[in-house]
Amino acid sequence: MSLTALGAGIAAFTGLGAGIGIGVATAKAVDAVARQPEADGKIMKLLLLGCALAEATAIYGFVVAIMILFT
Amino acid sequence: MLSVTFMNVVWTVINLLILYVVFRLFLFKRVDAILQLRREEIDHATDEAHRKEKEAESLKESYVQKLNDAGKECEDLIAQSKKDGYDEYDRIVTDAKQKAEQIITEAKHNAQIEAQREKDAYVSELTDLVVHAANKIAVSKHDEESDKELYNKFIFEAIEKSE
Amino acid sequence: MDIGGLLKELLLEDKVLIHFDFMNGFFDINKSVVVTWGVIAVLAVVILFLTSNMKVHDIGTRQLIAETIVDGLRGITGGMLGEEGYMYRDFMAVVLVFIGASNLVGLFGLTPATMDLNVTAGLAITSIVLVEAAGIIQKGFGKWLKGFSQPMAIVTPMNILELAIRPLSLCMRLFGNVIGATVIMELLKMVVPVVVPAAFSLYFDIFDGLIQAYVFVFLTSLYIKEAIE
Repeated sequence: MSLTALGAGIAAFTGLGAGIGIGVATAKAVDAVARQPEADGKIMKLLLLGCALAEATAIYGFVVAIMILFT
Repeated sequence: MLSVTFMNVVWTVINLLILYVVFRLFLFKRVDAILQLRREEIDHATDEAHRKEKEAESLKESYVQKLNDAGKECEDLIAQSKKDGYDEYDRIVTDAKQKAEQIITEAKHNAQIEAQREKDAYVSELTDLVVHAANKIAVSKHDEESDKELYNKFIFEAIEKSE
Repeated sequence: MDIGGLLKELLLEDKVLIHFDFMNGFFDINKSVVVTWGVIAVLAVVILFLTSNMKVHDIGTRQLIAETIVDGLRGITGGMLGEEGYMYRDFMAVVLVFIGASNLVGLFGLTPATMDLNVTAGLAITSIVLVEAAGIIQKGFGKWLKGFSQPMAIVTPMNILELAIRPLSLCMRLFGNVIGATVIMELLKMVVPVVVPAAFSLYFDIFDGLIQAYVFVFLTSLYIKEAIE
């Protein structure tokens, strides 16, 4: 049970927060579009931006895991 | 590649700056020049249009002014010629009156002279007649009755002659 | 199906391309820098081709494309920067094109230039220098220093830390996204080499690459706008 593998596995847990956050954001975006369908262009742009920013934390975990495994 | 070297970072920054210079020189400067030319053309055309509009306005005003002046001149001319006509008329009428008076006076004068001449002629005839009658009387006898008779006959003859 | 070997080969390869035997390897040039040179050359050729022989009226298709590109880029970055920061939109447009082009190089089989931590670090350092320079030019040096302790004096350590954390997060975000996309594409190519990589590459390479470029530029513009206020 090498500790590097354990460390990398724990580091991969950061994907949990990103998944929940993006899921909730998408739900609210769909609600907003359902309430006002003509604003769906702007809402989609904002949603994409928010998802890209929220995914960053998951990516940090990935990078940490790779750094642990390979250096 | 998980290692950060100093020189590579410097190289990357230099590359980025080179790319910025390339973009600036070749893309943005040329397109900006064209856009500037277009904007200037539009501004130029707009200024020209404004200027021509102003010119047209001022020309129109001057033409309207000229028309008004021409109309007034026409009226003036007509009034002037009317006045001249009336003056001429007055003058002619006065002239005619004068001439008529003159003719009447002359005619009167002539008539008087004629009458005078007639009277003179008549008087001379009368004188002839009187002399003639005197001659007759001097030849014939004188008495009061035949004188009266002679006088009456003479006067009736004179009256008849003069009628 | 040696996943470990593949990953090791991908991530740990010695990327030194030009090796100077001088000062203990201080002046080695990595593969990514050479790929960046190639990207610059290709972009310069394309631009020279598009903007040659420009006219004022009655323009051809090439000039139309060039003008559309310039207007589009300026519109995107100008909209993000707002009214007062419009002098920085040219540089933001250049960064956008550079990161997009670097990420798309992965389509052609080479490793993308941004897969190297040096390149992303260089980009992040340039961004942070630009943000602070914009703040100093706009506000003056004294007021910029005082801006560290606003709105209250307690948050001063946080503000100073943000000077270092912002570029770090930008760098890591870009790097992690590109590494993740490349690794997954390699694994897919190892498992199903025929048709599936093309469909997935549409999302991972193209879409993800462009979105990450846009997010990088968006965040930098946001920081500039906040610094200029």
